[in-house]
Amino acid sequence: MNENSSNKLNAKDLIHVGIYTAILAVLLCVFACLGIIPVMMLSLVVIPPVIAGIPYMLFLTKVKKFGMILLVNILLGLMLWVTGMSYYATIVGTITGLIAEFIYRKGEYKSKKMGILAYAVSNLYIWSNYFGIFYNAEEYFSTRQEYGQEYIDSVQALLPAWMSPVLLIANFLFGLLGGYIGTKVLKKHFEKAGIV
Amino acid sequence: MIQFKHVSFSYTGEEKSLKDVSCSFEEGRITLICGPSGCGKTTMIRCVNGLIPHFYKGKLEGEVLINGWHTSDTPLQKLSHHVGSVFQNPRSQFFNVDTTSEIAFGCENFGMPPEEIIRRIEEVVKQTGLQDLMDRNIFQLSGGEKQKIACAGVAAQEPEVITLDEPSANLDYKGVCHLQKMLALWKKQKKTVLIAEHRIAYLLPYIDQVLVMEDGEIRETYTGEAFSLLSEEELHKRGLRGKTFENAVTMELPPVKDNKDRMVLNDLRFGYPGESMLLDIPGLELPKGEIIAVVGANGRGKTTFLRCLCGMEKRCKAMLTYNGQSWNRKQRLKHLYMVMQDVNHQLFTDSVLEEVMISQEREDKEKAMEILRLLDLEDVAMRHPLSLSGGQKQRVAVASALASKREILLFDEPTSGLDHRHMLQVADILKQLKEQGKTVILVTHDGELLKQVCTVKISLDAKKETQCQEIKHSVIRKYCRLPKPNSCG
Amino acid sequence: MDYKVNLKPTSLIDPRTKLLLLFVISVYVLGGTGGEKMKVFYWILVFIPVLLLLSDRRWKLFLISVLVYGCSFVAQNLLQGDLTALQSVLALTVYVFVKFLPAVFMARYIMATTKASEFIAAGKKMHLPDAILIPISVIFRYFPTIREEYGSIRDAMKMRGIFMGGGKASQMVEYRLVPLLADSTLIGEELSAAALCRGLEVGVERTCIWQVKMRFLDHVLIGFCILTIFWSIFGGLFYDPI
Repeated sequence: MNENSSNKLNAKDLIHVGIYTAILAVLLCVFACLGIIPVMMLSLVVIPPVIAGIPYMLFLTKVKKFGMILLVNILLGLMLWVTGMSYYATIVGTITGLIAEFIYRKGEYKSKKMGILAYAVSNLYIWSNYFGIFYNAEEYFSTRQEYGQEYIDSVQALLPAWMSPVLLIANFLFGLLGGYIGTKVLKKHFEKAGIV
Repeated sequence: MIQFKHVSFSYTGEEKSLKDVSCSFEEGRITLICGPSGCGKTTMIRCVNGLIPHFYKGKLEGEVLINGWHTSDTPLQKLSHHVGSVFQNPRSQFFNVDTTSEIAFGCENFGMPPEEIIRRIEEVVKQTGLQDLMDRNIFQLSGGEKQKIACAGVAAQEPEVITLDEPSANLDYKGVCHLQKMLALWKKQKKTVLIAEHRIAYLLPYIDQVLVMEDGEIRETYTGEAFSLLSEEELHKRGLRGKTFENAVTMELPPVKDNKDRMVLNDLRFGYPGESMLLDIPGLELPKGEIIAVVGANGRGKTTFLRCLCGMEKRCKAMLTYNGQSWNRKQRLKHLYMVMQDVNHQLFTDSVLEEVMISQEREDKEKAMEILRLLDLEDVAMRHPLSLSGGQKQRVAVASALASKREILLFDEPTSGLDHRHMLQVADILKQLKEQGKTVILVTHDGELLKQVCTVKISLDAKKETQCQEIKHSVIRKYCRLPKPNSCG
Repeated sequence: MDYKVNLKPTSLIDPRTKLLLLFVISVYVLGGTGGEKMKVFYWILVFIPVLLLLSDRRWKLFLISVLVYGCSFVAQNLLQGDLTALQSVLALTVYVFVKFLPAVFMARYIMATTKASEFIAAGKKMHLPDAILIPISVIFRYFPTIREEYGSIRDAMKMRGIFMGGGKASQMVEYRLVPLLADSTLIGEELSAAALCRGLEVGVERTCIWQVKMRFLDHVLIGFCILTIFWSIFGGLFYDPI
């Protein structure tokens, strides 16, 4: 009966998944509300990836088995779905979560570089929230007619179709930055304090 | 029957916490494991409930047997049917949001039929008088009430062995009384109970056996009776708290010299939205430069009183006149400083020195070091505040208060969960602050601390005390004599 | 007097129905999927949360929602045609409000009338695995913890005079997040230990004292949700925009 030898997730792992999903969800929710303002819409790929990097890197120190990263993404995706963001996040989040799992496993669940990369990949579900605008623009805006033409114009001006890959890259890069800052904060505080 | 056979344990990367411990706990007996902080009593408890070696990793030698099974070969889930555990921190040990589910939680995990679980819950509630706490949100309960729910949850599992790890650390007098009721019940039911504690007064009537530990070894073994004959001094020598169980609310203080300097608190009124008025203090004179205790039952608003006083509660508009200046809420935020019960929340930076310097008006390393020297923190100046012990963290908070030149310091339960030596340390700091001319106001239910340092007492108790009704405003000031021992009814 | 465990469901409808409603409302009201042809459904969905709040005697929330809808309805009628910049901002705000509120009210209703344990019971009925159910119960338990912790961190900052982290954005985040996270590692550790000692383990058959059951109203509402989805997909075949 040695939990280390078993690769199945145990109760402790699942409790950690719950705690960090809650923290990430709160952060996401706080900053997603900024997205109502047109200009701030772009900030969605900047601010949340950078800030969420700190709890995420702390979360990764608890990850020693396959499945935890994926679960966090599925749960976050479900929450985004239920609260009406879009179901794209659930699908994309599941896929990126799975890729991130493999990346972090490659780093043997301790490599910080792989951790940063895993984070940058896993948080791409944020980008998927724009899908509605890019691939379904007509419908997206038909439902937002009443925001006023000015709003639509400004959103469309900000988000022409070629912006999609740009945002993807931005999301990824800011994810890397967030992961990097996360490891720095981890070192400055949690490692120095002997918590991890 | 629980047996320890030459058990040694060291947490990964640390020194040995248990050194070759052999002992046994017979069925149906209540055993107290005591000793100063860090003596290994918590490790003993963890060996019994199986958290060692299944949860806390490290090097375990020897064997622990419960009813003949080796704990290291028995999965935790199976062990949990037989051993129930109550932990120290009421904030972190519950899993559910509502109380009923929390009591049912263990039984649900065992896969019992729902009807049986419900029968057990109803029985436990009846036995322990928890009716008022049922179907409530745990987040709205006090620490003491949470601890009651934790005990009830364990009781519903009906294990043969129950372990408690410093269960009284966060409890007030009433909460401790409830714990006593629980113990009486378990004694009657012939459960095997193991308690790790250094507040022992409330346990004396119930214990059959006492193990005194130090440095990971069992130093002495007593029967319950022999142990209760030890003198206070002998107990303190072993790092233990006194054996009189004092109620901070009714305790009386020795008289103080009437000092003329006073501060006046006016019009402090506060109630949480949708609830009746909790605090209503039209006028209260307090002596300056003294150590003032605020006492009262749990839920009476002691902590709220401190929060209002230092200006954290926005909706509380009081005036404090100090040295001829009148301070409103915003000004009080600048002049008063509260050391919270959970100090972790008020430390922000990555070194002790930095923590002091951000509180200074203009950063001045020399002065900061001077303050640290005063509080015996010089050696840890470059350490991360979160890596320090609880007592050191408290002192870091005090240091930052001194750095920002606060005149009045507030403390919320500064000694909860501390053993005798550490309690004295806190008392020393409070005295030191008094010597420097600071006014200290502290909320506490620790009768021993009160006796050590406090000279003035504010009792928050509207219902019982007749004096309150005379003054009519739920607050009395007492200058009385003779500490007298109390026992729990 | 003997205590009896109160097993009555907290509200009129099943947690599963509540979630379905929240989902449908977010897709069709907040998300506006389906466009013009959904108008009737749209307005019914807007008012379902209000009626649910009423049914649960949440007077205060009910009154607030009626008031807000009333005001925004008037405002929308006033703010038509050529608008000045200020007015269009106002119109936008009102509109966003009306779009968001039904989902918000629905979420409030769910939070106010569902025990976390009822959610878990519903999840069990839906045969969700422990790997999802255990984290969800922890999430429920942890949201209020975050609120408590964040509250005391903010208080401490106020008292120490550290507003916005001394002007630096990085410190503003750092000072708030670090104590919060330090605490979460501690609670994570202790909560796990306590839960394990109470027999929580993955893959072991567990029971649940809370029973959830679909009743008449559930069937009506679920039927309506299915109709809504059906209409949004196939409604175009019958709908003739004038």
